[in-house]
Amino acid sequence: MRETFTKGMARNIYYGGAVFFFLVLIGLTVDTVKSLPKTDNSENLTEQVAAGKRLWEINNCIGCHTLLGEGAYFAPELGNVYTRFGESTEAIKAFIKYRPVDGIPGRRSMPQFNLTDEQLEALAQFLKYVDGVKTARDWPPNIQG
Amino acid sequence: MKYESQGIAKMYFIAAIALFVGQILFGTIMGLQYVMGDFLFPELPFNVVRMVHTNLLIIWLLFGFMGSAYFLVPEESERELFSPMLAKVMFWIFLFAGVMTILGYLLVPYARLAEITMNDLLPTMGREFLEQPTITKIGIVIVVLAFLFNIGMTILTGRKTVINVVLLTGMVGLAVFFLFSFYNPDNIVLDKYFWWFVVHLWVEGVWELIMASLLAYVLIKVTGVDREVVEKWLYIIIAMALISGLLGTGHHFFWIGTPDYWQWIGSVFSALEPIPFFMMTLFAFNVVNKRRRDHPNKAAVLWALGTAVMAFLGAGVWGFLHTLAPVNFYTHGTQITAAHGHMAFYGAYVMVVLTMISYSMPLMRGQKAANVTAQLLEMWSFWLMTISMVFITLFLTGAGIVQVYLQRYSDDPLPFMVVQEKIALFYWMREVAGVVFLIGLMLYIYSFFAKGKEVEFVEE
Amino acid sequence: MADKLQLKRASTAALVSLLNLTVFPVISFIFLLLLYKKTSPNMIDRYYVIVGIKTNLVAAVALLLVSALMILLGGFDSPWTWVYVITYFVIVHAMFILFATWTLTRSWTGEKLKKTFLSK
Repeated sequence: MRETFTKGMARNIYYGGAVFFFLVLIGLTVDTVKSLPKTDNSENLTEQVAAGKRLWEINNCIGCHTLLGEGAYFAPELGNVYTRFGESTEAIKAFIKYRPVDGIPGRRSMPQFNLTDEQLEALAQFLKYVDGVKTARDWPPNIQG
Repeated sequence: MKYESQGIAKMYFIAAIALFVGQILFGTIMGLQYVMGDFLFPELPFNVVRMVHTNLLIIWLLFGFMGSAYFLVPEESERELFSPMLAKVMFWIFLFAGVMTILGYLLVPYARLAEITMNDLLPTMGREFLEQPTITKIGIVIVVLAFLFNIGMTILTGRKTVINVVLLTGMVGLAVFFLFSFYNPDNIVLDKYFWWFVVHLWVEGVWELIMASLLAYVLIKVTGVDREVVEKWLYIIIAMALISGLLGTGHHFFWIGTPDYWQWIGSVFSALEPIPFFMMTLFAFNVVNKRRRDHPNKAAVLWALGTAVMAFLGAGVWGFLHTLAPVNFYTHGTQITAAHGHMAFYGAYVMVVLTMISYSMPLMRGQKAANVTAQLLEMWSFWLMTISMVFITLFLTGAGIVQVYLQRYSDDPLPFMVVQEKIALFYWMREVAGVVFLIGLMLYIYSFFAKGKEVEFVEE
Repeated sequence: MADKLQLKRASTAALVSLLNLTVFPVISFIFLLLLYKKTSPNMIDRYYVIVGIKTNLVAAVALLLVSALMILLGGFDSPWTWVYVITYFVIVHAMFILFATWTLTRSWTGEKLKKTFLSK
């Protein structure tokens, strides 16, 4: 780097750039949060869905699955599982409920979480709610997630 | 070692390396579970192993960062650490919290852990990388605040250099953005949006400040290049890191229900994110080329150069590969992401901590540099770990490309599990590379104990 | 010995070579060819222009030609073609960029290539 470009100039770019772009990020965040109700399916965010989200969390579902593409890549995407399962919460519930305790020999399998019927319903409703989030270009690209 | 209190770094580094071993062991278990789905099932299901793998990484990197700071700050500030006692106490608290958390993951079902730790009072668990019980998160905050107070007081009452001030800024940022981990709204879009304020603004923001300052410090030490020059580079690197990285957060807001303008903002700014990493490479090459001395610790120089190159490859090149929205539409949440994640974390943060350890450990053990045999072994371990990580990345990239093609791109997309079976070969090769990495790590640890001829060095 | 203008031209050549590999392909190469005319034999700027031209010609063959061959032989519609092409292209491209970066730092000190990283 040449002598004409001083340390002071570099420092000013750092401070100026950091502050400026941080402020832009905050501005865009405010705008995003304000415009979320258009896409975030919050009209269907019931108490039951919230309970389902908690179950999703405390069973560490994200440790194997992705949800809208984020999480682990060991098991299928669940952001559109409601659609994939023929828009049936019953099918989702049945799948979770009947996982064999000892797994399937030689294959990846989902643990048996021993959820109650009420919990299963909440979890399924949560997945239905996530499926209702309007993502850009209707991501994921197809039904397989 | 100029100040006695720098020696505190040693315990932090030993803990870091021990946890690193745990991380890699669990990594190889996961790798096997990818191809032998019932391995250790149901005792250790994949989600638990993964959580241990990623959380150990975070904990040991934090140990590494704190250890590095305790070594660097007294020397840069030209005074003893404000409170060596506090640093020691915090070490044990952090180690206890970390180990208890990992044991919690392993010994009880996660839902039970949530119950025991009263997650309902302030639910923060169960989100990727932030799986720690709320109580552990609070513990992390306390430890980091005490740490910040300690190095902050040392710096503020001592000499302020660009390096220690940038390091402090990075650490403050780390603490501040971690606070978003306590915000867990029921609205999934909001949850995801602010989750990235921890994850992205850590690894693609403030951690780059920490990394750049550590790298700059070691490079000054091993090359003897003028501080003025290094400081100018440091400023411009971190300027580019924040200019690109802050709005680069937008590349995580493509498909989670956030407004469409993020497609453009995220693509454009994250396309600039390789620049700071590229500049680190240019900077490292430049100062090594202009070096005023050949430091006897050749291993440390190798780690420093390796960090610059691998961070550029892993974070820069592999990040750029799938960061543009039209590409990310297909690759989001596939093995491509895993490939990038592995090389970026290794190249940037693992390697910078190992660089600091490589440089400082001999000094803390009363040597200028490790003996010839030890250095040779360390350099072998460098190559074993680095090359196997390159292969892990290549195999996961291959797996990801086939996955994207068959599951996302094809006119007749196949189900997830069908595709997973088709790419099993890649996972097997990845597992082999992972085992080689583990061997490299074992060799690395052994290098600390190897006896051999002392290095000759010329007085400065 | 090299004068200031030559040193400046040498580092410009190294920079342009790097740019041709990254953000401004083709245009940078033309610029490099024009730069060649300004240099004279056995001088440091000529040396770096030549290094740049060689690097980029080799890179063009290694990246474009080989990738094109891979696609031709492997077929456009096979995922395996893309596994090879993409991983190959990315890693080899990165290697060229790293080489050009090292070249650039060498040109800044006005020395030729050679000297290795770790020893004299």
